Amino acid sequence: MIISFPHMGALSIVLQALFTSLGRKVILPPAISKRTLELGVKYSPEAVCLPFKITLGNFIEALDQGANTIVTCGGVGPCRLGYYAEVQKGILQGLGYEFEMIIIEPNLVNIINNVHRIAPKHSLREIYSAFRLALAKMNALDSIQRKVQTVRPREITRGASDALWKTAMDEINTADTIPALRTAWYDAEHKLDQEVKLKAGVNPLRIGVVGEIYVMLEPFVNLDLVRRLGQMGVEVHTTMQLSNYVNGHLFRKSEYLELFKHLTNLARPYLGHYVGGHGLKSIAYTVHMGQQNYDGMIHVFPFTCMPEVVAKNILPKVSNDVNIPVLSLAYDEQSGEAGVVTRLEAFIDLLEYRRSTNTY
Amino acid sequence: MVLAVRIGLPRGLLYYQYGLVWENFLRELGAEVVVAGDTTKATLDHGSVLDEVCLPVKVYFGHVYELYKKVDYLFSPRVISVAAGQYTCPKIIGMPDMLRSNIDNLPPVINVNVNLRQNNRSLYEAIVSVGRTLGRGAIPSLYAWYRAWKHRHQLPTAYQSDIKRQRIGLIGHSYIIYDRQISMNIINKLRDIGFDVITPEMVSNRQATAAAKVLGKKIFWSNSHHMAGAALALMQSAQPVNGLIFMTSFSCGPDALIGELINQRAQSLNIPCLLLTVDEHTAEAGFITRLEAFTDMLVRRKRS
Ligand code: SF4
Repeated sequence: MIISFPHMGALSIVLQALFTSLGRKVILPPAISKRTLELGVKYSPEAVCLPFKITLGNFIEALDQGANTIVTCGGVGPCRLGYYAEVQKGILQGLGYEFEMIIIEPNLVNIINNVHRIAPKHSLREIYSAFRLALAKMNALDSIQRKVQTVRPREITRGASDALWKTAMDEINTADTIPALRTAWYDAEHKLDQEVKLKAGVNPLRIGVVGEIYVMLEPFVNLDLVRRLGQMGVEVHTTMQLSNYVNGHLFRKSEYLELFKHLTNLARPYLGHYVGGHGLKSIAYTVHMGQQNYDGMIHVFPFTCMPEVVAKNILPKVSNDVNIPVLSLAYDEQSGEAGVVTRLEAFIDLLEYRRSTNTY
Repeated sequence: MVLAVRIGLPRGLLYYQYGLVWENFLRELGAEVVVAGDTTKATLDHGSVLDEVCLPVKVYFGHVYELYKKVDYLFSPRVISVAAGQYTCPKIIGMPDMLRSNIDNLPPVINVNVNLRQNNRSLYEAIVSVGRTLGRGAIPSLYAWYRAWKHRHQLPTAYQSDIKRQRIGLIGHSYIIYDRQISMNIINKLRDIGFDVITPEMVSNRQATAAAKVLGKKIFWSNSHHMAGAALALMQSAQPVNGLIFMTSFSCGPDALIGELINQRAQSLNIPCLLLTVDEHTAEAGFITRLEAFTDMLVRRKRS
C-alpha cells in the first residue's frame, strides 16, 4: 500500500506525518503546477468546480509516480465535494489506473474503520500517538501561519517572514516526535517575534477572507492571495484554517460548536439555513468582522460553487447593512494573475480611501 | 364580503413537482392563488439580477419579480429535503434568502422549512404553520393538505411505447425539460420528428432507486438521485432506450457530476448520449442543429 492524497495548502505535511507514523509509505503528489491543472481539466467534466479538477490532476500525477492507494474525503452533501471521489474514481478507472480509493467520510466510526484498513497491525496506543503528532503539526502550522500574516505587512525587508515560514515548514515536516515538533514550533514563533524588523508606526488595513476552504487555503489556486495581500501591506485574517475544520467538524469541540451557534445567529437575518459548504460562515463572518471594524472582506470560491454562489447573492446586502466593503473573487482555470491583481489593487485603494475619509 | 388573501406562487423550480399540491392546499385554506404565467424572455431578464446562478434559479427569481407587487403573500417554502438522507440543491435551500436580499419591498414570504432528512415531522409543522399564517387551526390545515395531496399528479407519470418508434430518454430537472422557454420545447420537437420521449417522471421511484444501486455511493441530492436512477433504469432495462439526452443548465452544480456518471455508463453500454447545456443566451438555431444531428444519427444507426 503506497498512499497518496490531494494537496491543500500545508495539509500534505499533516497527512504525511499521519500515514508515515502509521507505518505506510507515502508518495506526495508533485506540487500543484500548470501540468496538474491541465491534466485535471482534460479529464474532468467541463462544468465541475476547480477543486475537483486540480485534485484529479493530483491523483493522476501521484498514480503515475507509483502510488496505488488514494486517501480522500467524502461528505454527505449538499455541497458537491461529498460526491467528488465517486466520480473521480470512475474517471481514473476509465483511464486504466489500478488503485484503491479510501474515502474518509466525516464521522468518527468511518474514520476508525479506515484507520484499521491503513494500519491493521498497529495498537491503539500507536495509532493514538500517530494522530497526536499529526494534529500537533496541524496546530503548529496554523498558529505560525497566523503570526506570519500579522508580521508580513509590517516587515521592513520584504520576504523576511516568508523565509522563516519556509524553514518552519521544513522543520515541522521532519520533526518526528512531539518534543522535536514543539522545539521547531516555538523556535519559529520566537524568531518571527524577535528577528523580523518591523516598520514603526504602521497601522495596516485589516481584511478578513471568507469563502470556500480549498480555494482559501491553496495558494496555487487562489494565486497566492494571502501573501500578495500581505506584501501589499494588508493584515489578513483567514477565517477557515485546517484546525478550525478538524476541531469543529470531526471532534465537535464545544468551543467550536458554540462558535458555530453564534455564527448561525449572526447569519440568520440574511441566510436562514445551512446551505452546505461554508456559505453560511461567509455571511456570518462578514457580519462579525464588520462589527469588529475590519476594513474589508474578500470572498473567495470556485466558480459555480453552489453554497458560495448563494452567499455571493446575499453579501451585497450584508455589506451594505454592516457597512463593510466586500470583494468577491470566483476562481476557475482561466483566472489570470493580472486580473486578480488589478482587482485587489482597486479594492485596497478603496479601503484606504475610506479610511482616510473615515466614512465609517 | 371579506376579500380572500392573495398568495403568489412562482412557476419555477419545485413548482413542477409540487405546485399543484401547494396550489390546492392554499385554495383549501381559503386563499386566492396567483400563479405566474409561463416563462418568457422578460422573466429571464428580471432573473439576471442574480449573479452566477443557474438558469432555473434566474427563472424562479423572474417569476417572483413578475408576481410580487400583485399579491399579499409570496409562497416560497424553503424545501431543504424531501427524503431521508437527502437534500435538495443548495440554491433551492437558499432561495428565500436570495429573494429577500435582492428585492426591496417584498410582501411577506411564506418560507416555512420543509426538511424530511431525518423524519416527516417537519412537513406537518410546515402545514400547520402555513395554516396559522392564514388564520386556520391545525386540524383544518392538515385536512386541507390531505385533500390537496390526493390530487397531486401533474406531470406524466407513465409512458406507453410504440415498439416501432425509437425511444429517447430525456434526462433533466423537471423545471428544465417541462419549462417550454428553457427547454425550447424539446419534448414536442422530439415527438414531432417521430421519437418517443421518456422523462425521469415516467420512471417510478422504485425502479430508479433499484437501478441507482450500481453506483458506489448513494447520491444525496434527491432530484439528481432520481434522474440518475431513471437514466440507469432506461439504459439497463431489457429493452434499453435508443439514445439518451441529458439536458442541463450551465452552472448547475449537481448536474456537472451526474452528467458525467450517466455518460460513463452510457459509453460502457454503447448507448449514444447527448449533453445539451442551456443558458439564457442559448440560440434556438444552434440548439436545433445539435438535436437534429443527434436524432439523424440515431435513425442511421437503427437502419444499419
Ligand atoms: S439542481 Fe442545478 S438547476 Fe437545480 S437549482 Fe441546483 S444548480 Fe440550479
